Amino acid sequence: MRLSYSLIVTVAILAFGALAPVIFRTQPYVLYVLTLALCYAIPVVGVNLLYGYTGLVSLGHMGFAGIGAYTTALLMKSAGMPFLPALLIGAIASGGVGLLVGIPCLRLRSHFFIVVTLAVGMILYTLFNNLDSITGGAEGLPGIPRPQGFSLGSWNVEFRSVSGFYTLTFIITALVFGLQALLVRSDFGRSLSSVRQDEALASARGVNVFAHKLTAFALSAAIAGVGGAMKVLFLRAAAPLSFELQESINLIVMLIVGGAGYLIGPLVGAIGFIALPEFLRAAAELRLVFFGFVLLVVARFAPRGICGTVELLFRKLSGKDASVVRHS
Amino acid sequence: MATAIFEQLINGAMMGSIYVLMALGMVLIFGVMQVLNFAHGVLFMIGGYFAHLFFFHVTGSYPLSVIFSMLSLALIGIVLERAIFRALRQNLPMQIVASLGLILIIQNGVIQLWGPAALQMRTSSVSSLVKIGQLSFTVQHFVIIAVVAAAVVTLYLFLMRTRLGTAMRATSQHPEAAVVVGINPNRVYSITFAIACALAGAGGALLGPLFLIFPQMGDGPMLKALSAIIIGGMGSVPGAIIGGLGIGIIESLSTLAIPTDYRDTVVFAILILMLLLRPWGLFGVRVRGEY
Amino acid sequence: MRKLVLSAVCAVALIAPAAYAQEIVTIGIVTAQTGPLAAPGKFQMNGFNLAVDQINKDGGFDIAGKKYKLALKVYDTHCSASEGAAAMQRLASVDQVSIVLGELCSPVVSAEAPLAQDEKVPLIITVPTAPDLTEQNNPYLFRINAHNGQLTKALVDYIRSVDAEPLAFIAWNNDAGRGGVNSVKALLPKDFKTGYVGYFNVGEVDFSSHITNIRNSGAKAVMLLMDEEPGALAIRQIRDAGLNVQFIGTLAMGSNRFLKALNAKYLDGMVQYSAFPPNAPIDRIKKFNENYRNKFHEESHGFAAQSYDAVYVAVEAMKAAGKVSGGAAIRDALSKVTFDGVIGKISFDKKGQASPPVYITQWCNDGTRKVIFPKDMAAGCGAG
Repeated sequence: MRLSYSLIVTVAILAFGALAPVIFRTQPYVLYVLTLALCYAIPVVGVNLLYGYTGLVSLGHMGFAGIGAYTTALLMKSAGMPFLPALLIGAIASGGVGLLVGIPCLRLRSHFFIVVTLAVGMILYTLFNNLDSITGGAEGLPGIPRPQGFSLGSWNVEFRSVSGFYTLTFIITALVFGLQALLVRSDFGRSLSSVRQDEALASARGVNVFAHKLTAFALSAAIAGVGGAMKVLFLRAAAPLSFELQESINLIVMLIVGGAGYLIGPLVGAIGFIALPEFLRAAAELRLVFFGFVLLVVARFAPRGICGTVELLFRKLSGKDASVVRHS
Repeated sequence: MATAIFEQLINGAMMGSIYVLMALGMVLIFGVMQVLNFAHGVLFMIGGYFAHLFFFHVTGSYPLSVIFSMLSLALIGIVLERAIFRALRQNLPMQIVASLGLILIIQNGVIQLWGPAALQMRTSSVSSLVKIGQLSFTVQHFVIIAVVAAAVVTLYLFLMRTRLGTAMRATSQHPEAAVVVGINPNRVYSITFAIACALAGAGGALLGPLFLIFPQMGDGPMLKALSAIIIGGMGSVPGAIIGGLGIGIIESLSTLAIPTDYRDTVVFAILILMLLLRPWGLFGVRVRGEY
Repeated sequence: MRKLVLSAVCAVALIAPAAYAQEIVTIGIVTAQTGPLAAPGKFQMNGFNLAVDQINKDGGFDIAGKKYKLALKVYDTHCSASEGAAAMQRLASVDQVSIVLGELCSPVVSAEAPLAQDEKVPLIITVPTAPDLTEQNNPYLFRINAHNGQLTKALVDYIRSVDAEPLAFIAWNNDAGRGGVNSVKALLPKDFKTGYVGYFNVGEVDFSSHITNIRNSGAKAVMLLMDEEPGALAIRQIRDAGLNVQFIGTLAMGSNRFLKALNAKYLDGMVQYSAFPPNAPIDRIKKFNENYRNKFHEESHGFAAQSYDAVYVAVEAMKAAGKVSGGAAIRDALSKVTFDGVIGKISFDKKGQASPPVYITQWCNDGTRKVIFPKDMAAGCGAG
């Protein structure tokens, strides 16, 4: 029964996402905000892998997004590299840095790991801001090109318009979510869950805890790098402030409000965090205060986020008891 | 060169004292309640705003304004503890989310009420200068160092010599055993939060006149205080003091050798090193299996 | 009979509104109203509001016999690239403005400008100083203010004419500060001794470390690349520490408001670049200052003047194009427009960059200022 629910939801979301350029053909602003939300959803998937499934909180993840972003941007802008290789290299770069950071830092437990990631994120931000000659520094890196379009027969595909780039972003985001689902449903993912629930027990059962954590961390950093690259390609400009501490914190907020440990948690969180305030622009100053209250409510009463609350409602409505295991 | 070092020592001691105020509050809350309060920075900030309010609208006396600010923050601390943090003990991710929510509410609330521009508060202690050789500092520099020193001594006496202080120490060491000997943990939590927030408010009220009072003024000091309590040892009060002073002084001295746009990097690099080499901090207790 | 009265009433009802028809043209504004850069953002906004008020008070502007009044749609972009771009997209597709003005932070412009080109909505920026912005071959981006290269050229000439070696810097660690330092260094001769370069984050106000290093390096002059608020604190702290260096400042430090935050003794001899000397005996400047003071009860600011002029330039372009919508036509009109603004003669070159005169004023010992550059506008104490 549950499997078909998930399948229905997945198909519905994919269909809506694929048809969005048609549905919103006359409203480029809606498409614009959706694209931005998807660009944020990708790094949140990385954070979900790390926190939702492995139990590690990283407060510096936008730093990795920045590495992917600047690498891809510089390769495409200064070296004229085409999109796919540049994106791949960007992901490898951020994943690589994640690996380097993870090796010494992953043996630390909760509080300390959080602070280390915070410190790493801040150091990365400082580097983006101060290394003027490489990253353009605080004045930003303007003029990042969009991926080159191509033609299939008589059909021209371009990425310069909002709908063109939206489609590209949608495909990449779908692939990232697909990767997340594959990982989570695999043996690797199950071992990650066991690490999250009880490290000592997992280790006693033969799970190489450190290797699993390291792989998860490097993967999540690489995914964040992809997200960062998409974002700067979308904005056609890179700025250090896009990757500072507050942005890393926002990733965690998006994940928790959306629902950590749920496959679509990142999507719900990103759309809620990015799209809702854009559409509620009327209450510009007060929306942040409102958002603060939402966070307080989530922290106190709904730690499973929106997805968790929805699941709870479904359970209540269908009359089943709340079962112990609810992670997919 | 010697004068430069001396100058930076005094500056470092002054900023370090501010970090100590924040760090003490955070380490008390963590030690007693296992809560990491990321919102301490905004509490520091409204301490400054309240001091400004009291100074200009209630009493023209700076010391009284500081005291009223501390009292207000203590009350706010009690409310926050009861409403939010008591239920989140030992739930670190939700503490982060709740702290972030608080930061959003308080920072943007302040912007709504006081406007986004910075406030100035020139007290006599800031306008008067103290000359030492060719260097000059404001009186406020030394006021801060002295007040924090006094606060540290008072806190020490409170924790060691009074029943309430001992109750706090007992709760931080072993909450269940504390209940067994008749300590009311809820009361201890409230007092802890009240003291911690009062200290943070004092920090804002002391630093505000020296520089400016603005909504983001607590963000940097909070990160430094967090680094301080980790370097000093997560549950250790002496650790927080040494850590806070240490970071302040090292920060200031480092600017003599390293470009200032990497000053924060120095602190975070030390933090990372400490976490890699000695995660339980300088004075922390190493618990087996914890690291 | 009734039918006649009814049709007469209908006729009047139809004609009357047409005779008094007043269309409102909305101009989009992007700026930072909250966050650490709220203070300079306020001046920018004031400039826009002042211009709109004046134009509307004069009955609006006139194209082909039809009268138009102005309205502003303002978005706070918080100095964030994604917010800026989203605001730009919204202004173009939802609010459907024909021109956007403003922005405070250079990196945000980099994200807004491509959208201006895509949506064919010209963007006139009035404050950001990164030289790169107008180098992106974007025909829809115009800049009314001088960029770092232009600003520092005048200052560098001054620096070389006085005894300023070694020259130290204290700068904001953001686009404005870092960009300024890079521009000055690029223009100074290779053998010029630049000493200590100190950066601080926006919002930090403790200059003690910088002061120690300045003293240590024996700097003779200190360049302050920041806005008024931290500038006043920096100068106070540096003077209180006993350092008698030559100060070189930025835009807002040549104002009486700045003097009020400090005093004449601290400022004596300080030099700064300016978009317009507030007390210059030039009519349009006097009128602008008067109107600004009447409306906002405080002294004006260069950012306000730049933004004020931008509104007028936008109107001129619309008049020249003969229409209030249709970005391509307005863009073409902008590229050819010339206008006598508060900040001087405004016309855009092929890259969309204007070349307003850059003034250098110097504080006298009695709290007044004199103009020392450009040489042909030099004026004595009291006219700066």
